[in-house]
Amino acid sequence: MAIIDVQELTKSYRVYRKREGLMEGVRGLFHRDYTEVEAVRGINLRVEAGEFVAFLGPNGAGKTTTLKLLSGVINPTGGTATVMGFVPWQRQNEYRRRFALVMGQKNQLWWDLPAQESYRLHQQIYGVPADRFQKTLDELTDLLEVKDLLGQPVRELSLGERMKMELIAALLHSPEVLFLDEPTIGLDVIAQHNIQRFLRFYQEQRKITILLTSHYMKDVAALCKRVVIVAGGLVQYDGSLAGIIDKFSGKKIVTLQFADGDRPADLDRLGTLLDTHWPKVKIGITRADVPRVLAETLRDYAIEDVSVEDPPLEDVIADLFHQVS
Amino acid sequence: MTEPAEPQRITPLRETLTEPQTELPRVTTGGEWGRYLRVFLTFARNSLIRDMTFRADFIFHCISSIAWTAMNVGFYLIIFRFTSMIGEDTGWGQDEFFLFLATVWFINSLVQAFFMPNANEFSELIRTGGLDFALLKPIDTQFLISFRRIEWSALSNFAVGLLIAGISLHSLATREEAAFYPSPLSLLLYGFFVACGVAIMYSVMICLAATSVWLGRNQSLYDFWFYITNFSRYPMEIYNTPLGRPLLGLFTFVVPVLVVVNVPARILARPLDPRADWELPLAVWACVATFGCVMFSRWLFRHSLKSYRSASS
Repeated sequence: MAIIDVQELTKSYRVYRKREGLMEGVRGLFHRDYTEVEAVRGINLRVEAGEFVAFLGPNGAGKTTTLKLLSGVINPTGGTATVMGFVPWQRQNEYRRRFALVMGQKNQLWWDLPAQESYRLHQQIYGVPADRFQKTLDELTDLLEVKDLLGQPVRELSLGERMKMELIAALLHSPEVLFLDEPTIGLDVIAQHNIQRFLRFYQEQRKITILLTSHYMKDVAALCKRVVIVAGGLVQYDGSLAGIIDKFSGKKIVTLQFADGDRPADLDRLGTLLDTHWPKVKIGITRADVPRVLAETLRDYAIEDVSVEDPPLEDVIADLFHQVS
Repeated sequence: MTEPAEPQRITPLRETLTEPQTELPRVTTGGEWGRYLRVFLTFARNSLIRDMTFRADFIFHCISSIAWTAMNVGFYLIIFRFTSMIGEDTGWGQDEFFLFLATVWFINSLVQAFFMPNANEFSELIRTGGLDFALLKPIDTQFLISFRRIEWSALSNFAVGLLIAGISLHSLATREEAAFYPSPLSLLLYGFFVACGVAIMYSVMICLAATSVWLGRNQSLYDFWFYITNFSRYPMEIYNTPLGRPLLGLFTFVVPVLVVVNVPARILARPLDPRADWELPLAVWACVATFGCVMFSRWLFRHSLKSYRSASS
């Protein structure tokens, strides 16, 4: 049985459309125009225990809303979902003991106190025995190299250090399911790398189920075998990262190194010219045309080197997001 | 493009986590009540640590609270230079009235210390989406948001209330005419009805805070608190006029804030026997109202959470 099972999940909000200007503001006191915003329009998803799944999508695609629905923070408009057999929005304590949500842009630790005081509170709330709590805390602070920062007020920590502290807070009760909403947002390359390594190691060791949203393709490539692309409130793709290129990119990038000489005037007949640093030219060519175009090129021009590559994943996904929105 | 070399700051991870995933054992000492008590004590502890961090703010808050109380005491002392009693034959002479005032400080300081900062913050949690984290925790959400912060400095007024009550009781016991000591039963009932008063005020506050879910923003909490306590801080006899009776009815039966101070203060300020006919029913009504208010506020709070929309990530 799937550990996360989502069927036709929908969530819509009624939003007040405020018009510009003072008179419109006064008018808004008496009469308001509302519109329905469909944040999630019928998501279907099954995740097996121990999977590490990435949720990709443009801003406003419904990723965070889906995570909030699965965490029971908000109630859906329609559809069903179970996580570990629980209906999230029933907010049963038994369920809430077994999962955690980390939001990269929100802070759950007490701002003015050292993180260890918030951890003690978590221990009490989750009813974690003292010896077990200490062992887990030692292990996590050791792994994330933040032992020395435990006594420092959270407001004095750097963003990267704070995110590590947030992760520890979420893992102190050893959740079986972890929802991560942009955990590396705003972090520098080293901090991102550290968090990625930790997450990969922790997931491999504990075999927990993780659903991650991120805008950093490196996070996704480093951590997840399975990718779910959400856009416009619907699942647009569910499969491997490499499969995205096969499915959504109709082009290959062909790089040609010409022998020295004058640049031919008719290069654009080969395909879309992407980059020209004569004598090196990068051309986008429709997949099906690649063999024919290559044969013609080698026949008609003096070529020193050829390479054929898939377009960068970021570009394919950006194109896809653009098309959907 | 080649991958950049792994930064040197990253040290190798340990080989394995020492403990494999197992069913999480839970602390069961004292059962659920024990867990809630421990969480409450940790909140109290964390709030104290926080207050101590900003000690100047803490001291200023104590001083301003006590100064406000001292001004009130001075004001009523002046009033009692012109009259010996609030209203005719009401029994609210200076000593009795100061016991009434002490009760106001007790209840106000308890509400302000334990609930006011939390109810006020609740509105902000809804607006910013910070309530998300409270909803994730395996503990009653109303409990969690009601006790998150304790404003220890507000308890300075509790100490002032004790002082005023002590002086008034001493004065009542040593005066020449109709001197009396409150019986142990009076003290017990007093404690009980002060607790009822705090519960009613808490319920009113939770109801008001819960409306933030639908309003999106509700910053009138402090104003509202001030208006309500202004009505509840006088003996109910003063409303016994043609103009005051609708207010008396409204604030006794609909929003029962008049019973909050009146019932306990009345018990302590006079001998238990004899009593007017309406005093026993009023005390019973205070119990019923407390129960009703707590249940209604809990229902409204839970109902409001269903409409919670969270905020942008």
